[in-house]
Amino acid sequence: MGSMTGKEAGLVLCTECHVTHHLIPGVDLKCSCCGAQLHQRKPNSLNRTWALLIASIILFIPANVLIIMNVTYFGQEDPSTIIGGVIILVHHGSYAVAFVVFVASVIVPVFKMLGILMILLSLKYKINITDRQRIRMFRVIDFIGRWSMLDIFVISILAALVNISGLAVITAGNAATAFGSVVVLTMLAANSFDTRLFWDYNYSGAINKTK
Amino acid sequence: MSTIELILLVIGVDSINSKILLCHECDLLIQNQIIAEGSKLECPRCGHVLYKQKHNTISKTLAYTITALFCFYPAVTESIMTLNMSGFVQQQSLIGGASVLLHEHYYLVAILTFMSSMLIPLLRLLLLFYVTFSLSVNYFHNSLLWSFRLYHQIEEWGMLDVYMLGIIVSVVKLLSMAEIQPGFGLWAYAGLLVTSILATTSLNPHEVWELLLKKKNQQESG
Repeated sequence: MGSMTGKEAGLVLCTECHVTHHLIPGVDLKCSCCGAQLHQRKPNSLNRTWALLIASIILFIPANVLIIMNVTYFGQEDPSTIIGGVIILVHHGSYAVAFVVFVASVIVPVFKMLGILMILLSLKYKINITDRQRIRMFRVIDFIGRWSMLDIFVISILAALVNISGLAVITAGNAATAFGSVVVLTMLAANSFDTRLFWDYNYSGAINKTK
Repeated sequence: MSTIELILLVIGVDSINSKILLCHECDLLIQNQIIAEGSKLECPRCGHVLYKQKHNTISKTLAYTITALFCFYPAVTESIMTLNMSGFVQQQSLIGGASVLLHEHYYLVAILTFMSSMLIPLLRLLLLFYVTFSLSVNYFHNSLLWSFRLYHQIEEWGMLDVYMLGIIVSVVKLLSMAEIQPGFGLWAYAGLLVTSILATTSLNPHEVWELLLKKKNQQESG
């Protein structure tokens, strides 16, 4: 298959309105149709993705160690972490919900961070994974990312609803802020990554520098 | 026409008539493809859907968007559920929930919840309404272009579906300590969720861009 990229042909695609333009080197282009900024590749894609990924990995530690939710039931305090919340659900016998929460707040963020890390490392050290595999992995990561917001929503609903002083009060903990940041940062990391770099690397032997 | 403008001349729109397509995800150059009505074109290298040949989706989307907008106000202000804990009754709406968190000084959690379950879904519906309504009454203004761009940019930050799952999980968590009754807000929220999903999936963005760009060119030449 005689495959040629738009970059090699001197073309640039407007990722907003799907119109193809000729590139003029050295000129900052705006799409003549919809006005969006044109880039052949997302600017500083790899650096931005690395930075956001590292920040999210760091924040993932307090998110799991600190208290995410504090339940006061008849004067008795019962703080719990993310994993603790899942264990409580298992003890109550609601296995299906425990599984959903476990997937959304543990498996998904870990999978997502490891996945982005693997993709970045495979580009950096030229590890051989086929592009189809890499893009499939990236699409899964991109799709599942937002679902880890589940735990944040559950806490915000419970804290708002269960607020009967003296009887039962649920408050959010500091881990909620950390965990929310992890979700947002991993979503931003996936957004700043440019999938077209996979093929740049393959066809020209090295990662092309984005401008 | 100046030289710059000449060079900037568009050489191909993603449409049935176009000579050149570039893949969004792998930048592959694809030439002279013909797509039959009702089918779609996938990138031969990475599998990304390049173009869908589906037309007349705008009026349908407009109908779903209006329905979703009607559901929005009760979904946010009416109570989602009522909690009955040994005689003590408490109920809470979406907007009330966010303000409770704000009072407890969990700003990030409160803002995230407010943005992703209320503000962004509302903004997306309004933008979609503006675009589809303008197209169906044949009105054109340059702001339509950035409206539709913004609509796509904020897509993944609207999380009505995730929030719905959050409501279900909360109910299960509360069942062991209290009696729960669904409120009117919950039904409105479910309606909002379903109609928003229908509005998003029934729309063919390629068709909207084609119409918008055609209208823009008409306005500039006429």
